[in-house]
Amino acid sequence: MLIDYLPVLIITGVASFMAAAALFVSFLLRPNNPYREKNTPWECGMDPVGDANTGHTRIPFFIIAILFIVFDVETLFLFPWAALLPDKGISVFIFIEMFIFIAVLALGLVYAWVKGALEWV
Amino acid sequence: MPTLDLILEVILLTVKVAVLTQIIFALPMPLTWLERKIAGHIQVRLGPWRVGPHGILQPFADAIKLLFKEDIVPDKADKILFKIAPLIAMVPAFAVFAAIPLGDTFKIPVIGAEVKLYLSDMNVGALYILAIGGLSVYGMILGGWASNSKYALLGGLRCSAQMISYEIAVSFAVIGVVMLSNSLNLLEIVKSQGGSFLSWNFLYLPVGPVWFAIFLIGSVAEINRIPFDLSEDEGTLSSGYHTEYSGMRFSFFMLAEYVAMVTVSILSVIFFFGGWNAPFAFLSFIPPIAWFMGKVCFFIYFFMWVRFTLPRYRYDQLMKIGWKILIPLSLVNILITGLMLI
Amino acid sequence: MPIETLNVNLLSILPMALVAILALSMLVLDFFLKKGDKGAIGYLSIIGLLIVLPIASNAIEGAPAFGGMVIADAFSAFFNCIFILAAVFALYLSVDYLKRINSETGEYYYIVLFAVAGMMVMSSANDLIALYVGIELMALSFYVLTAFRVRDTKSSEGGLKYFVLGALSSGILLYGISFTYGFSGTTNISDIARLAGGAGANNTFMLLGVVLTAAGFAFKIAAFPFHVWAPDAYEGAPTPVTALISIGSKAASFAVFLRVFIVAFPAFQSHWWKLLWALSAATMLYGSVVAIPQKNIIRMLAYSSIAHAGVILIGIVALNGAGAAGVMYYLLVYAFMNMGAFAIVMYLGRVRGNGEYVSDYAGMSSRHPVIAFLMALFLLSLAGIPPTGGFMAKFFILSAAIKARYYWLAAIGVVSTAISLFFYARVVFYMYMKDAEGDSPAPAGRPALAYDVVIYITAAMTMLLGLYPAPFMEIAIKAVEPLIR
Repeated sequence: MLIDYLPVLIITGVASFMAAAALFVSFLLRPNNPYREKNTPWECGMDPVGDANTGHTRIPFFIIAILFIVFDVETLFLFPWAALLPDKGISVFIFIEMFIFIAVLALGLVYAWVKGALEWV
Repeated sequence: MPTLDLILEVILLTVKVAVLTQIIFALPMPLTWLERKIAGHIQVRLGPWRVGPHGILQPFADAIKLLFKEDIVPDKADKILFKIAPLIAMVPAFAVFAAIPLGDTFKIPVIGAEVKLYLSDMNVGALYILAIGGLSVYGMILGGWASNSKYALLGGLRCSAQMISYEIAVSFAVIGVVMLSNSLNLLEIVKSQGGSFLSWNFLYLPVGPVWFAIFLIGSVAEINRIPFDLSEDEGTLSSGYHTEYSGMRFSFFMLAEYVAMVTVSILSVIFFFGGWNAPFAFLSFIPPIAWFMGKVCFFIYFFMWVRFTLPRYRYDQLMKIGWKILIPLSLVNILITGLMLI
Repeated sequence: MPIETLNVNLLSILPMALVAILALSMLVLDFFLKKGDKGAIGYLSIIGLLIVLPIASNAIEGAPAFGGMVIADAFSAFFNCIFILAAVFALYLSVDYLKRINSETGEYYYIVLFAVAGMMVMSSANDLIALYVGIELMALSFYVLTAFRVRDTKSSEGGLKYFVLGALSSGILLYGISFTYGFSGTTNISDIARLAGGAGANNTFMLLGVVLTAAGFAFKIAAFPFHVWAPDAYEGAPTPVTALISIGSKAASFAVFLRVFIVAFPAFQSHWWKLLWALSAATMLYGSVVAIPQKNIIRMLAYSSIAHAGVILIGIVALNGAGAAGVMYYLLVYAFMNMGAFAIVMYLGRVRGNGEYVSDYAGMSSRHPVIAFLMALFLLSLAGIPPTGGFMAKFFILSAAIKARYYWLAAIGVVSTAISLFFYARVVFYMYMKDAEGDSPAPAGRPALAYDVVIYITAAMTMLLGLYPAPFMEIAIKAVEPLIR
């Protein structure tokens, strides 16, 4: 059982090692000549104004992130359900249960839609 | 106390992983050449021509150039995050392959030994792929944020919002496949589509084609390719989240993108087109691996074809497609699929 | 799992399902109403809740349903009635209140309904997981409602404090639940006693689970030292929500407190009674002492509600039928008297534009003689003066403590009551003995009918529960009988 997850460890290690190796080879070969103009953020040749990463972002990104959490968790609940559904003994019961669950979540989507959370402009 | 079998298995696994990783690492080289060649021919040009016959050595020239490029780290950047972001984007793209089977077993012709063409037969393969595949978004948003450049930040934000929006649709499509095949294990999913092409999930009428459409559109958005490559929209964002990157670190982002494209092609084949199963029973004398590679190549070609055929969407259109079309469609489709199965 | 063992019994979840459906249909209705008509949602919610009330009060003595997740017994029916009544009063007052603060939205009403649904899940949860889901549904709704006056910094501050500390306490509670699960191997409340009792009663990790669970619940009932959120949240929240938090949230948390500690953890009573004893004594003394210097009447009521939580805890420490029934009776009385007091605070805000500070009550007896009298009634009932309901409630709880030989705790309860009389009486003193300073604004027309209805009903019930407690106490005793074995 756990041996099934060993490849995950190995492939992560090997991929990280190869990336590090490529970076090392490049480190041996590449020039290194930084100066002030080269190290400013690229802004079409103008001097950049202010910091970019202080969080001047639009709120819709945040709303999308929240909605994502809601629906991603929903899909997680659906996975075991989907694998169990064709089990004849309980299929009708769990289908009705999931129907209610999906209906409630769909109502949430409709709510977000009507309230304009999905409008980008 | 680990037994000898276990040690042997681990060694075999490591060898397999090493081979696979090398192949994936080198894969973008032919793919970039192919992409530029296809672009050229679609636009009635020749594409790469100078380096080697038909420009076939062009990718090597590119690789050498990238190796020799200076690694520029902007002064105002968050140095540590800036340096590791490409790795965070790249390593999950490789790690996904731990759960992806390339075939069932393969008999090596001369020595007669059987080799498994998959690394791990994990029972939650589909879920693992979604989970690990979703990690790449961290590399992109961290790269965009750590650059401390406005273009990079906007690119990173757009990229993450787009990826998480379409991730839901893709998850729903995978749930649809799990419902049709009754398993989360990728080998089982392929096995359930055995026989002729009529048992492929794509042809499970009427829901199969809808699931495939949702999966395809969502995946194209997930891997940031035209028509959904808003995160690196040259016209408005110069180059998106990797504006500030150069040299090998830049190439890691590109590598991640190409590997993701291959992953999505493979998943389309496994989930909807019968994996390594032959479309007709009488064609099964052709080895399964050939069928598999053929189908995967078709999808890789398809993604390139799309790239040079369709225009790019606007961002509000992108969000509209994700949230107002794909997700409601998936919800309805889940219920229809459920009704057909109970 | 074969479907028969699940025991699918839709009747057992009918009340909460109806409230949830009501909330969802109000949500849909909200799409079709114009900006000024949102009050209709409030009235429809009230009508819906009043329809659910007889269904909720009708206890079906059934086995645990849905694989032991929920149980619909007399105990949960009793609490469901408290929640619904409190929500009905709060919603009725809200319609006018929201108009006054100019933030009429549909969300307010159905978030209240979701909170009620969460409380009902809590009261009938027979599994720690279902219990946690109920707590979160209730708490998340209240976080939003507390911060509902978005343009008011106090409201945002209260909401944020409530949210951050509430999230922390949920974490602690979950930690306790996981220790309990880890040791007993089940999350089912009735199975925990069977599996973890006996030989394991001295296990350190199980005790850790008990302690952490108690801490999580203590936060929800605002017991000292987990009370810090309460005054700020109470002050910042819209006043009807404050009333609902202090009544509904507290009652629901005591419901789970009772069920978990009486049904699941009786084997550890020799350990946890010391913990709850200290918690109860500290809460009573802290709440009543700190309430004395408060100038803001809502903060004063917040500290008073902390003190009340301490008194109610005595009933759990006693761990006998009389104590548990006393808790239920106390919460019923508390629902009416506290709601009445808050309704009068809101009434003054409506007709005079103030009423937030104790000094605003100066000279009230001459301007609003009836309201002043009823305010005095509610405050004296909160203090526990006969012949009001508050006296009977305290009497039942303290006599249960004495019966269980917790003499010192009962003595501390009496002392804290005496201290609390001081700050309750101060308001009465202001109303009857002091004249208003300066010119007070003239009454701004007749306030909505809602205030009168709520104030008179709660006053009548407060008196009724004080004069004729027998039938209500009998219901409560019958409800806890199956829990205490």
